[in-house]
Amino acid sequence: MVVCSVVVRRLLAAAPAAPRHVFTGLRWVTSTPVKFNERKYTDKHEWVQVDGKIGTIGITHYAQDALGDVVYAQLPDPGQEFSQMDECGALESVKAASELYCPVSGKIVSKNTEVEDTPGLINKSCYEKGWLFKLELSKLHELDGLMDEAQYEKFLKTDDH
Amino acid sequence: MYSLDYHGDSISIQIQLSSTPAPKIRSCHHVKMQPLLRYWAAGSIRYDKAYKIQKVLAARHQTQKAQNVILLVQHPPVYTIGIRTNPYPFDEEERLRRLGADFHRTNRGGLITFHGPGQLVAYPIVNLKELNLGVRSYVCLIEKAVMRTCRHFGVDSVRTSMEPNETGVWVNNAKICAIGVHASRFITSHGLALNCNTELSWYRHIVPCGLVGKEVTSLTKLLGQNVTVQQVAPVLVRAFCDELNCTASNFTHEEQQEILKEIL
Repeated sequence: MVVCSVVVRRLLAAAPAAPRHVFTGLRWVTSTPVKFNERKYTDKHEWVQVDGKIGTIGITHYAQDALGDVVYAQLPDPGQEFSQMDECGALESVKAASELYCPVSGKIVSKNTEVEDTPGLINKSCYEKGWLFKLELSKLHELDGLMDEAQYEKFLKTDDH
Repeated sequence: MYSLDYHGDSISIQIQLSSTPAPKIRSCHHVKMQPLLRYWAAGSIRYDKAYKIQKVLAARHQTQKAQNVILLVQHPPVYTIGIRTNPYPFDEEERLRRLGADFHRTNRGGLITFHGPGQLVAYPIVNLKELNLGVRSYVCLIEKAVMRTCRHFGVDSVRTSMEPNETGVWVNNAKICAIGVHASRFITSHGLALNCNTELSWYRHIVPCGLVGKEVTSLTKLLGQNVTVQQVAPVLVRAFCDELNCTASNFTHEEQQEILKEIL
């Protein structure tokens, strides 16, 4: 079964995004290639997940743990434009206001008003309900300079994080 | 053979004493020196001037002149708020100004507080990444340094609180020290305010830190004897050094003048 799936994956990698019939050597398999919107990470412990040109941004589990209970989220407003690594908001926890940075350049399209009302969502669900804001990326190539999940996990293990 | 062990450093030198006066060093292990915490007791200065000094010190962290500095001041009467501005509209600001105090909206965490004569205000401008501290652990460290300081003067019943809105240092139901900090690119600003012999009636005009029903106190009030900012400041610096494993070092007059020139 493992061999079959390896063959299928290699064929799919070369394929356009459309249902395909693939002969694995044992039987025909029909599969629709799935586009994984993998998260990319910054050294400021923020993540961005891109779908087309829209990126959703949040902070990582490491960051929410280091902050403590978030009591207030100051998020950027729709329409505001930022360059990569501009300070674009702040999160308050334990009497400390920590700046938020824009991981990629773009224009804000929405902010998570649920998090503004219930900032604790950032601690409880930092990758799902605790997303912070969405923006339309103006420089997609900036994603290439960010870390993928494996690189970020490795980064966390170094002394430099 | 004679072995020396220094407390606080990982240094161990083996010295073979010979018949000649000068000992020969046989081996020397790696010496780990404590980092410095520069302290600057700047006297009584206006809130906005102190903030400008903080900004210059913070900006230096991005340059060759990077140093961890703790600025120690007193302020003329001033009320300040943090990034949660909704509870404090303009008419609230006006009301407090009419009392004779200044008012500032800041980028720190925490709600409204008061600073005035008799209160030791300390602004550590430090690099959290260099000190291997997260924001939460940094705030805990400040609380510990303040508690050490209070205990030095005989106030033993100091405590902190696990409630997220009750950060600070407490004695029973009364707050003796408020904390509110800011962190940007790992560099901290703002800090703490420890009541030494503050005129506590200023607090009656606000709900300090947004906590209804809680009181405010000072070292003087608790001990029944006058405790001044000048007495407390060096103890607080030493407490910070103990918590950070740093050595205190005075910010020289020349260094101070260099910073003050930048804010003219």
